[in-house]
Amino acid sequence: MFNLLYKELRLAAHPTLFVFMLMGILVIVPAYPYGVVFLFGCLAPFITFMFGRETRDTYYTALLPIKKSDVVKGKCLLVSFTQLTQLLISIPFAILRVYIIPEGNPVGIEANVAYYGFGLIIFAIFNLIFFVQFYQTAFKVGRTFIIASVPAVIGIFIMEFLAHIPSLQWLDSTSPDMMFRQLPILGLGLVIYIMGMCYTFNLAARRFSAVDL
Amino acid sequence: MNILSVQGLTKQYPSFTLQSVSFSLSYGRIMGLIGVNGAGKTTTLKSILNMVCPDDGQIEMLGRSFPDNELACKQEIGVVFGGVDFYQHKKLRDITNVTRRFYTNWDESAYQKYMQEFNLDELKQVKQLSAGMRVKYSIALALSHHAKLLIFDEPTSGLDPVSRDDLLVLFRQLIKDGQRSILFSTHITSDLEKCADDITYIKKGKVLASAEKESFIQSFQHLKEPSDSRGLTLEEVMLRTERGSNNV
Ligand SMILES: Nc1ncnc2c1ncn2[C@@H]1O[C@H](COP(=O)(O)OP(=O)(O)O)[C@@H](O)[C@H]1O
Ligand SMILES: [Mg+2]
Repeated sequence: MFNLLYKELRLAAHPTLFVFMLMGILVIVPAYPYGVVFLFGCLAPFITFMFGRETRDTYYTALLPIKKSDVVKGKCLLVSFTQLTQLLISIPFAILRVYIIPEGNPVGIEANVAYYGFGLIIFAIFNLIFFVQFYQTAFKVGRTFIIASVPAVIGIFIMEFLAHIPSLQWLDSTSPDMMFRQLPILGLGLVIYIMGMCYTFNLAARRFSAVDL
Repeated sequence: MNILSVQGLTKQYPSFTLQSVSFSLSYGRIMGLIGVNGAGKTTTLKSILNMVCPDDGQIEMLGRSFPDNELACKQEIGVVFGGVDFYQHKKLRDITNVTRRFYTNWDESAYQKYMQEFNLDELKQVKQLSAGMRVKYSIALALSHHAKLLIFDEPTSGLDPVSRDDLLVLFRQLIKDGQRSILFSTHITSDLEKCADDITYIKKGKVLASAEKESFIQSFQHLKEPSDSRGLTLEEVMLRTERGSNNV
């Protein structure tokens, strides 16, 4: 499994993947729609998959002494690694922000516990559609990205919308007791993300097994 | 003993069918898979390797069923489709560093030896190599994990006559000790004259003949016309077979 991820990071990943991993830092911008951060986590796989088609990554990988499904597993590992690293990198900046800019984000949701839970759910939805759609052909990347990004963008809008509803103000807060109330959303996000990735891998690998390279 | 045996390999595409392809290759031999563009050479090789899903057929490699022992078999083969054309902007060293991790019997000193023998500079990017160098790099990778069966799809296409000859000479050297075999596809008949022990001729998805070179040529001498003074060459065999069918 480590070798698969190593291969992805060393040969398959497009340089922008590493730049997009850092985009979580945006949560320190005083006024910014933080939902956009998740878009970078969806764009990173898209660009790397495009790049993979150009570098004929699938052909190199399929000829290694691995199972055909490991081709898909490598990509799942890479995308999860990218998205989770992106969120982890942003956490210190989200914490720092509370201290240096205490007045909150006027544009949209705060980078709080609920925000990370929503992010994981949005990633899980995007990944499911992106992988399953892509590995039907292992070729059509652009179309796949458009289909998968629609629900992701809708998810981001819903998150920002919820944060604007007066009765749901506890969602848009960084105070410790409110963030405690948000913990179930983070827990739910983690469960959905982990289970979603397993399901995504299984389904995409099954699709890919029927693809003629 | 056979290093590779293909029986009844069938693959249906919407506009093309590979029909019950069968042939076998013994240790220490080179087999050329010949046919015109679109005859089904690449499809045959990809079906053998499970890169496309064949509809039917048995593949035995190194004495085992390939589909049931895919990982073990892949450890012992080296495969190149149309030259190394992946990761053009990467240095050879980076590709090697990843590749070696996947092979249990990777032999670093053998790798260094072949890189030197083939005059390959690890610090070069793939795109900086000539087509001949790329094939040689992939051979170096294959030999470094002690591959017993080498499978190449049109390794000589796109090479100048000198590099092509170099490569064919190298092919002969590789099988000299009887431990390895090579299966390669080509549409160039002189490749076979110079280098193949066995020939499998594929036309429109069907094997017309698969035999040792001399008996292969013999089996096509019925195509001789009264005006021919000598026996037919491989090229004449191929031209007459392909054209003849158009006249029917
Ligand atoms: N993935 C595919 N889907 C549909 N048809 C294909 C596919 N791959 C190859 N073919 C068809 O199979 C035929 C044989 O192709 P190929 O095996 O590449 O021939 P060769 O390698 O001998 O030139 C061609 O007519 C090609 O159009
Ligand atoms: Mg071909």
